Amino acid sequence: MQTCCAGRRQEASGAGQVAVLGDTREALVRPWHWTVRVEAWRQRREKQLRTAPKERGLGEQRRYWPHKARLQSGTADHCRPPQTCAAMPAVFTRRRIYNGGAVGRSQGPEVALSTGHPRKPDNRNSPEVPPPDGTLGCCATAGGAGAGLAAAWSKPSVAPTSCPGNLPSRPPPFSPPLLASRNPCPWHYLHLSGFHDALVPTCFEARRHRKRSGPNPDVASRLTDRTSPAMATYTYTSRPRALPCQRRRYRDNLLQPAEEPVHHGNIMYDRRVIRGNTYALQTVPLPGQPDPVEIQRKQQAKRRALAKKRAQEQLRPRTPEPVEGRKHVDVQTELYLEEIADRIIEVDTECQTDAFLDRPPTPLFIPAKTGKDVATQILEGELFDFDLEVKPMLEVLVGKTIEQSLLEVMEEEELADLRASQYAHEELRNIELAEVQRLEEQERRHREEKERRKQQQWQTIHKHKETSQKIAARAFAQRYLADLLPSVFDSLRDGGYFYDPIERDIEMGFFPWLMNEVDKAMEYSMVGRTVLDMLIHEVVEKRLSLYERKEDKPSSLKPEDRLGGPGGMRDPLVGNGFQGPGASQSQRPLPDRDFPQRTPYDGRYMEKVLSKERRLMEEEDEQPEIRNAFGREELSQ
Amino acid sequence: MPLPDTMFCAQQIHIPPELPDILKQFTKAAIRTQPADVLQWSAGYFSALSRGDPLPVKDRIEMPVATQKTDTGLTQGLLKVLHKQCSHKEYVELADLEQKWKNLCLPGEKFRAVLELDPCKNKIEWIKFLALGCSMLGGSLTTAMKHLCEILTGDPEGGAACIPFETFSYVYRYLSGLDSDIPASDTETYLASLKENVDSKKNGMIGLSDFFVLQRKI
Repeated sequence: MQTCCAGRRQEASGAGQVAVLGDTREALVRPWHWTVRVEAWRQRREKQLRTAPKERGLGEQRRYWPHKARLQSGTADHCRPPQTCAAMPAVFTRRRIYNGGAVGRSQGPEVALSTGHPRKPDNRNSPEVPPPDGTLGCCATAGGAGAGLAAAWSKPSVAPTSCPGNLPSRPPPFSPPLLASRNPCPWHYLHLSGFHDALVPTCFEARRHRKRSGPNPDVASRLTDRTSPAMATYTYTSRPRALPCQRRRYRDNLLQPAEEPVHHGNIMYDRRVIRGNTYALQTVPLPGQPDPVEIQRKQQAKRRALAKKRAQEQLRPRTPEPVEGRKHVDVQTELYLEEIADRIIEVDTECQTDAFLDRPPTPLFIPAKTGKDVATQILEGELFDFDLEVKPMLEVLVGKTIEQSLLEVMEEEELADLRASQYAHEELRNIELAEVQRLEEQERRHREEKERRKQQQWQTIHKHKETSQKIAARAFAQRYLADLLPSVFDSLRDGGYFYDPIERDIEMGFFPWLMNEVDKAMEYSMVGRTVLDMLIHEVVEKRLSLYERKEDKPSSLKPEDRLGGPGGMRDPLVGNGFQGPGASQSQRPLPDRDFPQRTPYDGRYMEKVLSKERRLMEEEDEQPEIRNAFGREELSQ
Repeated sequence: MPLPDTMFCAQQIHIPPELPDILKQFTKAAIRTQPADVLQWSAGYFSALSRGDPLPVKDRIEMPVATQKTDTGLTQGLLKVLHKQCSHKEYVELADLEQKWKNLCLPGEKFRAVLELDPCKNKIEWIKFLALGCSMLGGSLTTAMKHLCEILTGDPEGGAACIPFETFSYVYRYLSGLDSDIPASDTETYLASLKENVDSKKNGMIGLSDFFVLQRKI
């Protein structure tokens, strides 16, 4: 059981490889396959058209299609014998089984291959070899073989569903690193991301490829994400080559159910090929995102469910192959016939062009006429006489010319006359203008002269008037102002505005000084007199005392009497004499000087001066009063 | 096929395009000039036209002031035509002048009569001939000078007809010199008075009004 499981497992992985192989091959095959089928359909339709156009129309309109049950039958172009198709899976299975038996050992593939080969001929000839998973294929027809084959090829999805449950701890079949093998297949290298730079031959049939050089399976790639949990860089290397024809070029509908999406071999749609920025490839999965292992597990579960469904479908019994000359047709098996409404009703219409028209009858051939029928002879000058013909023209020419010339001459003459008269008039006008200008100038000059004369006359008259007015005014003013001047002078003189500067200077400067000097002199004399008085008094007292003593002693009085006698007698005179020269000397020169000049005043002045002196001499003690009176007199003067 | 030189109808007659113009100009000239002998004048006209010379055509049509029956037929217009033809050179050949004279349908005797006034050999100064022609037009010396002024002037017709005073005085001296009746002193005084007048008025140009009106006043 264990070995079997292992074998299954191995086979599963091997089958997965083959499935991939099948995918790629089919992608290459299908175009041809499809065209063939399309061709067959067209042929059939044409035949229908040709045979029964009327019936066809009806058939087209009312055709009922079988709803679900479809009986599949091999068409004529399925040329390939089923045995060869079945051979390969058989070989694989056998080999895998062996391989599975030798799981514990290393380098299984080689052994498996070497053991697998001798059995091949048997396998090829016996289609009844049961598939390893034990599913019963329909062996009677090629479809059975196909089914078996399909079962074998659909292993990769089926096998894991059963295996993990049984053997959870089983190591992955390709986990040991496949180092550069001793049998390198030049075409089949897989760059595994887990093993950097290690080119691993993924084809386990390398030797067989070499030996047979025939229909080698185009194993070029394999899934690496199954073996290595982490995302791996995937490389795909495939050399272009001719398609091997021994393989089957079509695909059964059983193998690929309609609901399953078609796998394309185009790497542009391969989800393992990473497009776009490769930087994003190396990123660590985000913490928020689900674990890739979890995702993978889910995917696996989904895949397993799908595979289970498919397996169940395949296990259903199928309709047997039609007998010779028949074929399966879709038939409605429902209780009631119902019209298929999803098909668009087609209506054919025809149109027919008209038949070609009949060619018109060819007209009768009549040869072209040659030669002259009629002729007229015209002699020279018969039709045309130049002199005759030219006459009207000449008449016209000459007449027109003369007429035109006359007209023009007249016109020009008129114009010239007009111009001449215009110029003449202009000339005349110029002359007249000049004359007018001359006259105007003369008139202007005359007028100006007249104006000038008038103005001159006016000026003279005006001057005359002015002069007479001036004279009259002058006389009047003279008369008016005649007595004004003396009175003014008189009043002014009375007001004291006219004065003699010397006199004024004497009055203002000299007299005060003189009075000062007089005062000083008077003071001196008064001092002297008082001193004299005191002396006299003293002397008198002494003499009196002496006399008193003399009376006592008369002899002793005489000398003193002689001495004091004249002195006492002459005392006022001496005082006057003393005083006189000082006063007379200071006062006398002035009157001497003034007298000749001041004739009008001298009388009064002298009187005043004399009276003053007199008073001075008389009243020596009353000097302040005198002085005041003198000052008053001066001021009044 | 008819030959191109064969004509069948009047439409085929080809008239040179320049013919009508020439014909018209010629007719106009003939009408304007009114020559006595049209053939003679035409010969002169076309020869001048072909040579590119000034045409013997009067500027203005002249009423027949001078009938060739009573007088010589020389008019101011004809003299002007001659002046137009000959004034480009100072001296003119007598033969050439006579030819032009004849082309204007003027009698040759008249030409000789003109030349008799101032006999000369082969060539004559054009201004002198013109002065002689003006004097032949009749009238006094002043009238001759008036004609001369009108011929020589560049002013438009009817204008002041001013000519340079030098030309005027030259012609006047020449003509008065020919006339033995007029003393030279009179001529000089007259010219001097005119010159004074001219100098005060215009820039060395003497007009018709300057001496003609003056003459009329006197």
